[in-house]
Amino acid sequence: MQKKRKWFFRMAFASLLRRKSRMLIALLAIVVGATILSGLVTVYIDVPRQMGAEFRNYGANVIFTSKDGTALTIEEINDGLSNVNSSQIVGMTPYRYETVRINQTPVTAAGTDMSSVLKTSPYWSVDGEIPDKDGEILIGATVAQNYNLQVEKSISVTFTPEEVAEEAVAFDNGDEAAEGETSTSDVVLDNYIDFKITGILNTGGAEENYIYMSLEDLEELTQIPTTISLAEVSISASGSDLTAVVGSINQNSENVSAKVVKRVTASETTVLGKLQALILLVTIIVLALTMITVATTMTASVTERRREIGLKKALGALDGEIIKEFMGEQVLLGGFGGLIGTILGFLFAQLISVNVFSSSIVFRPVLLPLTIVISMAVTAVACLIPIRNATEIEPALVLKGE
Amino acid sequence: MSLLEINNVSKIYGELHALDKVSLKVEKGEWVAIMGPSGSGKSTLMNIIGCMDRPSEGEVLMDGIDIAKMNQKELTLIRRDKIGLVFQQFHLVNYLTAVENVMLSQYYHSIPDEKEALEALDRVGLAGRARHLPSQLSGGEQQRVCVARALINYPEIILADEPTGNLDEANEKIIMDLFHNLHNEGTTLIVVTHDPEVAQTAQRTLFLRDGKLVRETVNENFTGEIKYEDWTENK
Repeated sequence: MQKKRKWFFRMAFASLLRRKSRMLIALLAIVVGATILSGLVTVYIDVPRQMGAEFRNYGANVIFTSKDGTALTIEEINDGLSNVNSSQIVGMTPYRYETVRINQTPVTAAGTDMSSVLKTSPYWSVDGEIPDKDGEILIGATVAQNYNLQVEKSISVTFTPEEVAEEAVAFDNGDEAAEGETSTSDVVLDNYIDFKITGILNTGGAEENYIYMSLEDLEELTQIPTTISLAEVSISASGSDLTAVVGSINQNSENVSAKVVKRVTASETTVLGKLQALILLVTIIVLALTMITVATTMTASVTERRREIGLKKALGALDGEIIKEFMGEQVLLGGFGGLIGTILGFLFAQLISVNVFSSSIVFRPVLLPLTIVISMAVTAVACLIPIRNATEIEPALVLKGE
Repeated sequence: MSLLEINNVSKIYGELHALDKVSLKVEKGEWVAIMGPSGSGKSTLMNIIGCMDRPSEGEVLMDGIDIAKMNQKELTLIRRDKIGLVFQQFHLVNYLTAVENVMLSQYYHSIPDEKEALEALDRVGLAGRARHLPSQLSGGEQQRVCVARALINYPEIILADEPTGNLDEANEKIIMDLFHNLHNEGTTLIVVTHDPEVAQTAQRTLFLRDGKLVRETVNENFTGEIKYEDWTENK
């Protein structure tokens, strides 16, 4: 049996290697199909990641607040983030909001981590620079317009501590005692810091009404230790995956309440679903076309080898042996075509990814056996009918002196 | 018991009687030639003897077993066990070397054995050309490969259809010498030919016309002295 099996492969390889031109035509059909199939499947699988990254340009998709309505700490936020795969975390930006004054007019100041703000809000457009050291400030466009502020200029931002505010209220109410207290030597005044304006923020949204400084500057200005009002988190996930991540955070974190930003995630899911459906449709059509092409090539190949089939039958080959031989040969070819197709498909997908999404893709090893098996199966199915028909050939045909 | 016995065999296609009540016997070790003009029924008779076709009527006994009513699969099994075929057009598989073409016949019969296949090629004088593809061989060499392929499984009958039809005189002589050797070793040969010289080398020649066996000549001592024995259409 071993000798027979050895001979089977020897014959199959001889047929493939010594019938080069015929074999190359069939191989080309399979390789083209396998390349497009493997490439499109790679893109199909990679689209959520690629589009997820694209969607992250529209801002954070998850907001962290505290469960009990109080402020958060950085430790609590990190505890929440520990439930997310680190490779999925695009960025996290904490925000602390306080009411401060510019020219005695109240303005909302946001203390944040300036180094991470563009990761969660990449759509921010800044005239000038984002502050990168203490004493620098970013001004929302509306605020800049209201106070006629410009980049490189200085601005004095004041904060009224709680006790000063209370005294002011008492003073306004004509409280004698309070009035007396203010006249004493331990009078408390507004805190202030002179900032250098490094940039004007344009977003077209509510952000233009705020001023942005570092958490440390805001702490110094308010003289109140840093707490976090909310954190914007950008996670590279969408749809049900994102819901699962958020659910895991809410379940496992002590004080973090995570919520998806529906405005972003709903549209992301819809667009992603439509895009994937489109790619799937194209993949199925390509697969069908490949099958037709391979079947046509196989039909031509088998037809061309009718005399050989007749001869083999005349030499004593049974129908089953003819089918096994031709099928084995074509399936080998299919496997080889699948192997080449997987490699070319990856390059094809890489080309699409770089040109369309401006990022590279990672090779998925599972695609190698998958493409080879599909190529073998498609080839087998495609040549089943022509080979079956070939067994109908009468061996007597070859005896005719044609 | 004759090796092959055909009794009243007819092959009918609609109105056409390709063979009409043909009867003949071939003994083991005999060398028989079949002659006749085109359309006389030679190919049909060859196909029936070669187990590639079934008669419409009559019986075909091979080693006493009637193969006339067998199905395709049974006929294939008989063919690969008992018949060796030599074709006018050689019909070698073009992507297999000479030795691989011989081994192909072994593969369907039993187990491919390269050493034995090389010995068969040596018998036909082609040991040095064993690794050549058919396209690298001359017509005579291809026919010798075809003979080696036919004899590799030690068939009971070698059935040759115009074996020298496409060969020059020198190669015709080589092939006929090979047949002589095979016959001397006890192989039964049935050769279909239109060439009287080839036919005269056989022990017996059967003449077909319009599907009927019309005459038989017996070459009693292979000396070229051919004795005619008349057959009539009514016999």
